[in-house]
Amino acid sequence: MSSGRDDLLERLLEGSRCDAEAGESAEAYERRGTSIELVEDADGTRLSVVAERGFALRLFRSGRTAFAASPPEASDRLPAEARLVLGRARARRGARAAGPVALDRAPALVPLAPPDEASARALLASFRSALVTEGEGAVSLTEAILTVGARTERVVTTAGRDVAFGSGIATLVATVTGRTAAGSVSARVLASASRPEELFLARLAHQAVDRALLPLRGRPLAPARGDLLLDPAVAAPVVGRLAPAFFGDEGDALLASRTRNGRDAFASPALSLVDDASAPGGPVKATHDGEGTAHSRTLLVSRGIAVGRLSDCAAAIRLERPPTGNAQRRSYSEPPAIGVTNFFVDPSRGVTPLELLRALARGFYAAVPLSRPEVDFASDRFRLHAAGYWVEKGRAADAVSETLVEGRLSELLRAVEAVGDDLKFVPSGSGGAGSPTLFIPKWKGA
Amino acid sequence: MSEVVEVFRRDAEDAVRIVSGLLRRGETGEAFRERRRRVSWTATEAGLLAPAFADERGTAVRLRRGRESLLVAREGDGPEALREAVREASRRAGGSPFLKSRVVAPEGADAEVSAPEEEERAAQLGAALHRALPDPRGLSLSLTVARIAVSRAVVTAREIVACGTVRRLEATGVLRRANAARPFAFQTSAPWAPALDALTRALSEAARPVPTHRAAEGRVDAVFSPGAASVFWHEAVGHPLEAEGGERGTVLTRVPRAAVAPAGVFVTADPTRGDLPGSYLADDEGTPARSVALLTDGCVDGLVTDRRSAGRASNGHARCGDFRRPPRPRLSNVVVSPGRASRDELLEACGSGLYVREISSAHADPESGRFTLFVESADLVRRGALGAPLGPFALTSDVLSALRQLHPECGDVSHPANGLGLCVKGGEGVAVGGASPAILIRGLTAVRGRP
Repeated sequence: MSSGRDDLLERLLEGSRCDAEAGESAEAYERRGTSIELVEDADGTRLSVVAERGFALRLFRSGRTAFAASPPEASDRLPAEARLVLGRARARRGARAAGPVALDRAPALVPLAPPDEASARALLASFRSALVTEGEGAVSLTEAILTVGARTERVVTTAGRDVAFGSGIATLVATVTGRTAAGSVSARVLASASRPEELFLARLAHQAVDRALLPLRGRPLAPARGDLLLDPAVAAPVVGRLAPAFFGDEGDALLASRTRNGRDAFASPALSLVDDASAPGGPVKATHDGEGTAHSRTLLVSRGIAVGRLSDCAAAIRLERPPTGNAQRRSYSEPPAIGVTNFFVDPSRGVTPLELLRALARGFYAAVPLSRPEVDFASDRFRLHAAGYWVEKGRAADAVSETLVEGRLSELLRAVEAVGDDLKFVPSGSGGAGSPTLFIPKWKGA
Repeated sequence: MSEVVEVFRRDAEDAVRIVSGLLRRGETGEAFRERRRRVSWTATEAGLLAPAFADERGTAVRLRRGRESLLVAREGDGPEALREAVREASRRAGGSPFLKSRVVAPEGADAEVSAPEEEERAAQLGAALHRALPDPRGLSLSLTVARIAVSRAVVTAREIVACGTVRRLEATGVLRRANAARPFAFQTSAPWAPALDALTRALSEAARPVPTHRAAEGRVDAVFSPGAASVFWHEAVGHPLEAEGGERGTVLTRVPRAAVAPAGVFVTADPTRGDLPGSYLADDEGTPARSVALLTDGCVDGLVTDRRSAGRASNGHARCGDFRRPPRPRLSNVVVSPGRASRDELLEACGSGLYVREISSAHADPESGRFTLFVESADLVRRGALGAPLGPFALTSDVLSALRQLHPECGDVSHPANGLGLCVKGGEGVAVGGASPAILIRGLTAVRGRP
């Protein structure tokens, strides 16, 4: 990757030739990134080293928006392309280039240190070793994909914004196979963090072993009334699926219908939901979003009551609130859209998971998800396919190979009686979703 | 875009020389060039909201030595990107190539995108959405409709091989009514006008109110429409026959040449079917595309392979999501030969059960053979006739049981599937297609719900 500075971004913004009097404004964006991907499988090792640079331009005119993106060699065409069909787009209030922010940094893109191949290999070796120890020979690693990347971004607008910032990402995706006399099962587990050393390999290995062996060693459990304890690995993906209800003003109608225009609580008083790019243990560690707005900690549900929304600049104008810094760009070639950073259930008033387990008189401890949870906010339904343990008087009585926990989503959220203090994150959308252990007493379908 | 592959050839002699100079004894490898153009619109019930043009260009240099392989990727698809990637690959592989700097003729500018043409297309798309949803009251639509063109070429040590240019229209998103949300996914490689007509029909169908009638849970016999059957074949037969099974293989590779389905069932992976979205001229390693028999007369036959799994015997199924990722053996178009039964005859043979019209997503575990199909649209079948429409549910079984319980007669026409679009494996999506006749499978398990 070229690390030297040039004036391509400035030229791109100048090339947009915005007519401020006609209500035009523009935002130019640059991303530089390097990443390595190390793949180990039965056939050997594959190393991919990627260096990239890309540009994007958004033009705004009287509420209309058009977007164009390209690598450097074609960036001079972006203004013309963005103008092509700008007039055909529908207008929407709030669409305009963002102005300067108070804490703008010097507009310099610091060259990135390339991710380290030797460390990546050592990390995969550690994971393999942890898996062998946890799985006691019954679980093997079919494929492991470790990706480590770093990037710098810069946003400049005709309204005076000029912000540069950097971030990192590390992801480990492992496919494991469990084999016992009862048969064989393969499963995929993944973890992400802002740096490779924060990947919590031992925890991922433990989860992989449970995910591969519980379906082989346990017995199916028919849905029955009982207490329900959701491990963070099961609860966090469900929490992640709640996030779109808080995206700007898009989810307003849905949220209003689920809470009868705010007359009902969204969840039980034990639950508070937060989005925070600096949350400890969260996979996202960034200072700014894809529009150059500084991230903030946003309280979305306070003790069961919906109080906040996640917004980009346009949604913030429509909501008449300051932007929360949640415009996410998945790549330079996609326009920013509202998304989460680290979206989680606040564990600050939680108790230890052991205390929650002791409170389980007779019920199911869902330890690992067996498939992606089904969460349909519109029809107020959810469904979890999980494996775990049947628990009596706080002790595991039997391994459960699979069971379904389903019902009304609103009832589940309002039935959470206590939360743990063991917040853990899973990758979700462009960021992460986190939850501690959740305790739901006397659930009708577990 | 049609000239893009020719653009890739402009420095042909130089590029081939650079790649051949890179490879040392015991190494194989190639360079890969890609240009991807995507024009998308955000569509809501009120109309087209925000247009987005995205151009991505990239070059990857790949080296293989024994069990190790290396990929170095750079943005840009011209001579400079190739030289930069070769330098880095060589440095990492322990070599030190001397690449003479030579003045390369600047690439001719692409044909300017024509504003009237884009305006016309936007207007046609807007009109198609209006036709599909003439009265959007009570409906909330959040769709991304994209026109995508991807051109690829592989530079080997001997020549530049054109993989071809693939164009497709894609639409993904959600339709919401007061108490239900329905995922929507559509893809076609048909030309613009018929593609819009097909999108209109699919959207109009998807916008119908979700039936409240639910499928009974438990064992069930199901007739699959050609589109739904394509998804079944892709998951149940295609994925287990990708040459990536690890040391113990998959549920089908563990039983080579075994009769797993009724005689007369022929399933092929066929990237040469130009009318289907998973087609190409050569795969992403430059091996010419060819049809591979997966099931022959009901017996397990071949695997789809790449150079890593089969060396020079690769049968042309190395595919990558984009230039940044290494190719792997992946499916293309799964094509099933037709039988002689009409749909009514299959319904008659089914007796009581389900008629599956549309599957929105599916997944399979090639190790255990368990698969799940998420059914978006289906009808009850009673006494051999179609009955009430049903709300979403899932069908599960294992591959060997489902193939064993396949009715010996299939439908008499093998139709291309519109719903089968992007196959995501390991987080990497490739365009796939399918063509299948209607089929009847007995003894599946119906489970309520939707992903």
